[in-house]
Amino acid sequence: MSAAPRRVLALVAAIARLGMAEAAAYRVSLLIWIVTSIFPLISLVLWRALAEDGPIGDYDQAGFDSYFVAAFLVRQLIASWVVWDLDRSIRNGDLSVLLLRPVSPVLHHVMINLSVLPLRLSFAAPIGLFVLLLTGGFTVLHDPVQWLLVIPALALAWLLNFAVQLIVGCLAFWLTKAASLFEIWLGLFIVLSGYSVPTSLFPAGLAEVARVLPFHAVLGFPVELLVGRLELSQALTGLALQAAWLLVLGALAAMLWRRGLRAYGAFGA
Amino acid sequence: MTRAQDGFAGRGPLHRHLRLVATQLRIRTLAALEYRTGFWSDGLLGVLWSLSGVIPLLVALEHRPDIAGWTPWALAMLTGCHMIVAGLFSAIVQPALHAAMEDIRTGALDYLLLRPVDALVSCMVADFRPWSLVEVVVGAGLLAVAAIGAGVSPTVLDVALLATVLVSGVVALYALSVLILSVAFRALQLQNLAYLLESLLDFARWPIAVFRGPLKAFFTFVVPFAIMTSYPPMALLGRLEPRAAGGAMVTAIVLAWLARAAWLRALRGYTSASS
Repeated sequence: MSAAPRRVLALVAAIARLGMAEAAAYRVSLLIWIVTSIFPLISLVLWRALAEDGPIGDYDQAGFDSYFVAAFLVRQLIASWVVWDLDRSIRNGDLSVLLLRPVSPVLHHVMINLSVLPLRLSFAAPIGLFVLLLTGGFTVLHDPVQWLLVIPALALAWLLNFAVQLIVGCLAFWLTKAASLFEIWLGLFIVLSGYSVPTSLFPAGLAEVARVLPFHAVLGFPVELLVGRLELSQALTGLALQAAWLLVLGALAAMLWRRGLRAYGAFGA
Repeated sequence: MTRAQDGFAGRGPLHRHLRLVATQLRIRTLAALEYRTGFWSDGLLGVLWSLSGVIPLLVALEHRPDIAGWTPWALAMLTGCHMIVAGLFSAIVQPALHAAMEDIRTGALDYLLLRPVDALVSCMVADFRPWSLVEVVVGAGLLAVAAIGAGVSPTVLDVALLATVLVSGVVALYALSVLILSVAFRALQLQNLAYLLESLLDFARWPIAVFRGPLKAFFTFVVPFAIMTSYPPMALLGRLEPRAAGGAMVTAIVLAWLARAAWLRALRGYTSASS
């Protein structure tokens, strides 16, 4: 009876090994991707300079240091690129090969994207550490109870990001340039998620709106949790919000995937 | 084959190059007019994208009366300049860069090299997205409106400085792209350096005065965003010293020279895709 799950497990492990081998083969590419996303670290320098004559909102210089280093690391932890893979493989028919395999293509992409994490972190962590050594101050979460929430918050953030990419990627079943639609999400994400500036500094009104949107659930919330800016009740609310968005976006992704596969089959591809 | 027989009789190399550029631009423009949805996806989206990027600036202004001595009107002028530069980048530079990289990867560059024109010129007009010029137009409008709002009355010298730094900025942007393209010859893994330039371009939204130390030097001389977006408004406001404009010109020329040298070197090492 236990043969089937063990078989799936073996397959999943094989995909993970494949992903890790690919990441190791394209390590220079990966390193440049990571350098491409040092955006928060330059924001750090910028906001640090602006906060020279006194704190901005509730962030002083050390506050910005911690926030943006955490934002850099969280962005690395939640990274995936399934939208581009899916868009291409639907357009050129490579998806057919994946569909023939005994593992769902979605699971395949989950494992490929996850398996790069160790190498990604081993590149990114020293960069973050180096910046922290340069700037000196770093405040991190004190409350051990909230530390327990960090893992689920990061996991939910990863899943949310993956679900959004899956949704946009699935649009490639019907549209020719789905991946470019993702740029809309990305543009809003950079501004509204707390990636380029903490959302709590937004003007009143915009801040409240931004903080319930999925962008903030993907990045701003785990970052604020990590640097200890949230009360326990706020942290729990944030987790609930993440879960709610995941429910909505996950359902949408599942529906689009199922319908898309039917449309894909109809092409005769 | 003599000169008279190659179809470009008697007009000289400059004419030939200009004709190639004009033809490429015309073909791409016709193609763009075919796909009118590009007005929405390239044009308006680019404008929206640019305007949404202003939010961090607005946040900073929410908490401070000015940013490193830049008033809101001056920052609006800077945003206008950023839209001009970013629009030119996504209309002319970036599409050509990606198309040329694709040619290197597939080996289609061979055909480009056979043309009786400079290969670099061919590469830099390999693709063109005219709809992104909408962003340039909006940016120029914003620059003009903000300049009026700031109440500037530029002298002839100021306008001359503005022209100098704007041209230097665009030359520098081109030179950086050619450098990236040359590196891509060496290792195709380095292709995504093009995305690095794109993501760095976001920092050109901030006045150079907010950056300190090595980062300031980096954004002035290595990836000279200061020249592209900070210097033009400073020129209009009469705050740019002629010495800085001269420095901008020298930086652009040095970058262009480096890019040309790197390109020639890279081209010598090109062995096509199959060999």
